[in-house]
Amino acid sequence: MGFFENIFRGQRESSAKVAKERLLTVLVHDRIKLTPDMLEQLKSDLSEVIARYVSSVEPSEIEVTILRGEINDHIKAEFPLRRSNVS
Amino acid sequence: MARVITITSGKGGVGKTTTTANLGAALAMQGARVAVIDADIGLRNLDVVMGLENRIVYDLVDVVEGRARLRQALIKDKRLPELCLLPAAQTRDKDSVRPDEMIGLIEQLNGEFDYILIDSPAGIEGGFRNAIAGANEVVIITTPEVSAVRDADRIVGLVEAAEKGPPHLVINRIKPRLVNRGEMFSVEDVVEMLAINLLGIVPEDETIVTSTNRGEAAVFDQRSFAGQAFINIARRLNGEDVPIIALHDNQGMFDRFLGLFGRNKA
Repeated sequence: MGFFENIFRGQRESSAKVAKERLLTVLVHDRIKLTPDMLEQLKSDLSEVIARYVSSVEPSEIEVTILRGEINDHIKAEFPLRRSNVS
Repeated sequence: MARVITITSGKGGVGKTTTTANLGAALAMQGARVAVIDADIGLRNLDVVMGLENRIVYDLVDVVEGRARLRQALIKDKRLPELCLLPAAQTRDKDSVRPDEMIGLIEQLNGEFDYILIDSPAGIEGGFRNAIAGANEVVIITTPEVSAVRDADRIVGLVEAAEKGPPHLVINRIKPRLVNRGEMFSVEDVVEMLAINLLGIVPEDETIVTSTNRGEAAVFDQRSFAGQAFINIARRLNGEDVPIIALHDNQGMFDRFLGLFGRNKA
């Protein structure tokens, strides 16, 4: 079975490597202690601030993600802009 | 002043009690006066692992509530006269003791022992708080599995918040064959993820089952790899510079030896 798997699907990543990737992401979330409620509050606060300067942000489309980096972890927020003036 | 070391893990079943029993015995073999305390109130187990279950008259809660003096509750080990056990209460619940009472208990023991090892219950609630209250050092046990490492990481945060100094790490039940195949976290993986000081590593070892069945510490068994690993950890606690031997080499040789007799199926 392993033989055919290797031929048809290519070499699978070792399970320890997969586990490490998954766990590192979980640990970043655990350590930052941001509850889902707090995350929603953060999004709505951010949208308020952004709206003061830019009107074309749709609050429901803001995405906040927690990322693991090489040296530091990051909170990344994305604010999609509506394209109202497409010519 | 005794060194008061709590042995904890977060997740259950990773080897806290086995580690406490074996480190206690190893330290006593090396000449230290050692008291081990079972802080798992309601789920007493350290006594059976040490083979002392028939000698219990009084327990930790009896002492705290004044029904017995500490000296009456301490049980001497069968083989090592310098090793004593303070058993947990079995018929009480974990909230029978408060952190300040644990601190008081440890202060009473302090003058008479070099080491006080506290076997913590699993979890992060009251029982864990009691177990670390009187400690000045913490050893965190984990196995190389996602759930155990995740819980260990939570404990690291709690120990740091409780200002117990940087915790030490023991990685238990490592299966070198799986690590070599990339199917289990390596020692380096776990150390990198938890980012705390590594005190020792212990291989998965069937002799632990046997020694626990008999109520004898594995450190008495010269052929037990796990027992030898616990002896090394005790020596490191004592300040000796004992290198951490990579298990692959050790076990590899053992596997090859077994291979000669056709028992090695890996």
